[in-house]
Parts: sequence; structure tokens; C-alpha cells
Amino acid sequence: MIRLAATLGFAFLYAPILSLVVYSFNESRLVTVWGGFSTRWYGALLADEQILDAALISLQVAVASATIATVIGTLASLALARHGRFRGRFLLGGMVTAPLVMPEVVVGLSLLLLFVAMEQAVGWPAGRGFVTIVIAHATFGAAFAAVVIQARIGALDRATEEAAADLGAGPVRVFLDVTLPGLAPALVSAWLLAFTLSLDDVVIASFVTGPGASTLPMVIFSKVRLGVSPEVNALATLVIAVVSLATGLAAWQTMRTRR
Amino acid sequence: MSEAPFVRIEGLTRRYGAVRAVEDVSLDIARGELFCLLGGSGCGKSTLLRMLAGFETPTAGRVVIDGRDMAGVAPHARDTNMMFQSYALFPHMSVARNVGYGLRRAGLSRHDTAARVDEMLDLVQMAPLARRKPDQLSGGQRQRVALARALARRPKLLLLDEPLGALDRKLREETQLELKKIQSSTGVTFVVVTHDQEEAMILGDRLGVMRDGRIEQVGTPVEVYEHPRSRFVAGFIGTANLLDGTIAEDARDHARIACPEAGLDIHVGHTVAGAKGEAVCVVLRPEKIALGAQAEGLPNRVEGRVEQVVYNGNLSMFHVSLPSGTRLRAARANTVRGVDAPGPGEAVTLGWPGSAAVVLPA
Repeated sequence: MIRLAATLGFAFLYAPILSLVVYSFNESRLVTVWGGFSTRWYGALLADEQILDAALISLQVAVASATIATVIGTLASLALARHGRFRGRFLLGGMVTAPLVMPEVVVGLSLLLLFVAMEQAVGWPAGRGFVTIVIAHATFGAAFAAVVIQARIGALDRATEEAAADLGAGPVRVFLDVTLPGLAPALVSAWLLAFTLSLDDVVIASFVTGPGASTLPMVIFSKVRLGVSPEVNALATLVIAVVSLATGLAAWQTMRTRR
Repeated sequence: MSEAPFVRIEGLTRRYGAVRAVEDVSLDIARGELFCLLGGSGCGKSTLLRMLAGFETPTAGRVVIDGRDMAGVAPHARDTNMMFQSYALFPHMSVARNVGYGLRRAGLSRHDTAARVDEMLDLVQMAPLARRKPDQLSGGQRQRVALARALARRPKLLLLDEPLGALDRKLREETQLELKKIQSSTGVTFVVVTHDQEEAMILGDRLGVMRDGRIEQVGTPVEVYEHPRSRFVAGFIGTANLLDGTIAEDARDHARIACPEAGLDIHVGHTVAGAKGEAVCVVLRPEKIALGAQAEGLPNRVEGRVEQVVYNGNLSMFHVSLPSGTRLRAARANTVRGVDAPGPGEAVTLGWPGSAAVVLPA
């Protein structure tokens, strides 16, 4: 009974993705008709400048925003977990995780309005594009990173930091020698999570992007609107592969440290 | 006492809001001494230790270590080292790097550090496992590494927070003696926090019994056990029968305490502090009460009925109820196998000499 339920559940979740992967190897130009196995659409994909550019931008955005998100998430988590009570602690705690539940459309729109207002007021960021997408992705990536890192800080033995201080290490050395290595697995998980989320996002990126900075999901989205092509299937399969790899690594990291 | 005490604690107080963790503690500890802070959980003993290490800031009072006032000195700038209850080994470093960590921070060269690490690991017999990570060690091995790490910097004062708390009984007993040996061979002053009164008696040159943030009594194990200064100390250290009475007679060489609870006037072989008629508490250790034939000829004798016999191997504890309903506990060493002892329900005579009782103000 349980086995049946599990099978149905998995089928419901993954059958669409599986069919997409299978059809990415379809010889036929018609997406719904099987014309034999082929990798020609992968070849076509690699020759498509627009897609390759978008993929490069997406990767750059993901790396930059995940890095910023991890740094901010770490600082916020440390402030929340380690500095006892301070003014605005409750507010910070709530606001850090708010982007997790905020609708993406709202986040995207509010960031767009902010960027426009800032450009008028201080002249930065000049126009919208790569930089604004990175900032936007770092914003919600930091929320996810903070959740992952906070859990880890809670599990760290505070006494190891005290022991380092007791053995003559100043605050900076304690952080570098003990706190950071203790947090490392969570930092990797947080970074991978933020990276994946950035790679996936289309809504927020669409709001805050400008001319010349289209991320991969945005390109896919616009292509699909003109009709589903087997090339998009191939592209989607590659994206799935990259995302699965990143989340798999993140999960593996978490499991390894729980042990 | 011409030499100034090595550690001087004066009026040390730590409050958390309205909670008084440590209240007005004054204490002197001599150089090279092994001092045990003993008390139940929440009595403030760990807070006191953490104030010596610099992790807690006193609300009032001061700590002077080797002539230097420790006010405002950060933990990393103190000549003290601490061994943590959880051991707090660095999980990502090998045993050798754990032990060498403090030495590197002190500016020792790589070469000197390695030499000192070897020496320390030899001391705690952990040299063969120097390359292991803490999670590859047993509890007893981790305890040794933690001790080696804390001793490596040759601190003036070593603070140990429940150092043997995580070990099982057998290992604990072995380690207690070893710890004492290491302490006397290194000559470092130790302050050990423990909740285990037996451990405190075995380890400590002197002990300080704490309760509700205050020190109740300071003394050698013998002093604290044989001459407890308060009801709390008498009950906390070892087992004790506590009887209420009033002073009936106080002569030059003896005293009598009227004790309706026990149904007799207790003869005490020394004078007592207090006026006639004053309420007192009489402390009787179970092993000082004789049973049956052995009670004959003793100045204090009561009749009772055995309620329960608890066999402990080396000794048996007899729970005897007196006609007044009061229960006395009397212990007898099981020195001869097969000697018949009074069983439950049997009448028995208890007796104790004039030297047995300790008389405390009620």
C-alpha cells in the first residue's frame, strides 16, 4: 500500500520532468512525436549564441549573488545567534526570513521601484541589468542562507570558541580558527542553495533586468512563448542536471555533517 | 602564612538580573594546591570557575591571581587555562594540533610546539594517537587530550569543570588518581569543579562546599567530613543522621544534649558552643554507630527495630527505627564473611561513643 502511494507520488512529481528529458533526445522536430533517438538538439543548442550568452550571464549572476547571500546570511545568523539581546533583534529575525514567504512578484516589483528611485536619487545603479539582478538575487538568497546557517550555529559547541579564547586566541582568530571551520559545511550548503535559487529564478529577474542582460530562464521563457522547440527541451534537461547536482551536493553536505 | 595567597577571591558576586549565581565569595587558594569546588547543580560553582577564567564578568568583588588583579583582563590574556566539561576539542583538528593550538598562539615556533606537544601527549599517554581526530577517540581518550591541551601552555592556574563527569565509574576512579598524580608532578595549581562529593574528597587537598552561590565551608576533606560546620554540609557530604536536641549540660570535659527524638540524653565527649537550653543539631555518621554486641559499654545506647538492611558489598547499612519513630542509619563493615547480622523486624541495640557526635547550632 505504502509502496503504491510512494510510486504514485513519485510519478506525479517526476513524470513530467522525465518525459521532458526523454523528448530532449527526440530526432523529430515535432515535440510530441517520437522520431528516434538523437542528440541533434544538444548540438543545435551549443551553436545558439543567444542561449550560450544567457547561460553565461546566469552562471555569473548565480555565483556572484550566492557569494554575497552567503556572506550576508552568515553575518545575520551570527548577530541573531550570538549577540544576545540587542535593539531590533526581533525585527531582524523576522525580516531575515520574510523573503521566504513573500510572493516573488511583490519582491520583484518592490526591488524594481527601489532601483528606479535610487537611480533618480543617487545615480546608482545606473540603469538595470547584471548588477541589479545580482542584488535582487542576493536579497532572497540571503534569507535562505540565513536559515541554513542559523541551524548550524545552534548545533555548534560554544565551548570550543571559549576554549580557543582560553588558549590565547583573540576574537578574530577564534572566528577564523574555530567558528568558520565549524560553519563550513553549512556555508557550502547555503551557497549551493542560493546558487540554485538564482539559477531558477525568472520572475524577479524579469522585473529588475534591463537591455542586454537576459538570464537563461528568461530566454527559455520567451522561446517557449513562441512555441515549444526540442532545443528548449535539451536546454531544460541541462538546467535540470546542473540544479540536481547542486542540490544533491547541498543535501550530501548536510547529511555528512549531521552524522 | 607569610606568603600571599596565590589566588585571592574577595567578595566575588555575580548576579543575572535578580538571580544571584555567586554571592559574596571570598577564598584564598595556595600555590600548587588542588582545590575542589563542590556543590549541587545551580549552586554557582561553575559560574565562579568561569569568573576565574574570564568568561564571566563579576558584578562585584575581585580576583587576584599571583598578585595581578584580573579585572578587565580578557580570557585570552590570562595565565589560566580551562578544561571544559564537554572537553571542547576542536573537531577539525588532530589531537596533536589541538594540544599545540595554545602554544602556537603563545608564539612558540613550530619546532618547539611539536616538542612540547610530544611531551604533553606522553604525560597523558596519548602519544600513539596524535594523528587521530577527536571523533575517532573514546570518551576517556578525549578527556586526556583536553587535559593535555589545557596543561600545554604551563598555566599558573588550571581550571577544571567537571573533568571526569562524562566517564564511567571504573575509568573515573582510575583517572582521579592519575589526575592527582599529574597535578603534583606538574606543580600547577588546580581548581576543580565537581558535584560528586566522593570525587571531591579523593581529589582535593581542600574543598569548598557551595550552596546557593555562597561558600558554606572550606577545609580539608577530613575537616569537612568529620567537623561539618552546618546542617547542609553534614547532609551533603556523605551520609549523616541529623537529630534535633537542646543543650542539657555543658561541663568542662563533656556535654549532654537532651534528645527526645532519640529517647536519651546524648553524651558528647567535649564541650559545646552555646548556652544551656539552646537548640542544637546533632550529627551522627552511620559508621560511628555500633550495633548489637559491639554497642555494649558505650555511653550512648538506644533500643530499636531493624526496618531494612541495605547490603553494599563492603558494608551494610541498617535502617533502624527508634520507639519515637525516628530512623537512624548505622553502617557495619562486612569484614567477616557469614557473620549473622540482625535482619528486618528484629530488635537491636545501637550505641556510640562520646566522640561520635558533632553538635551544630540548629
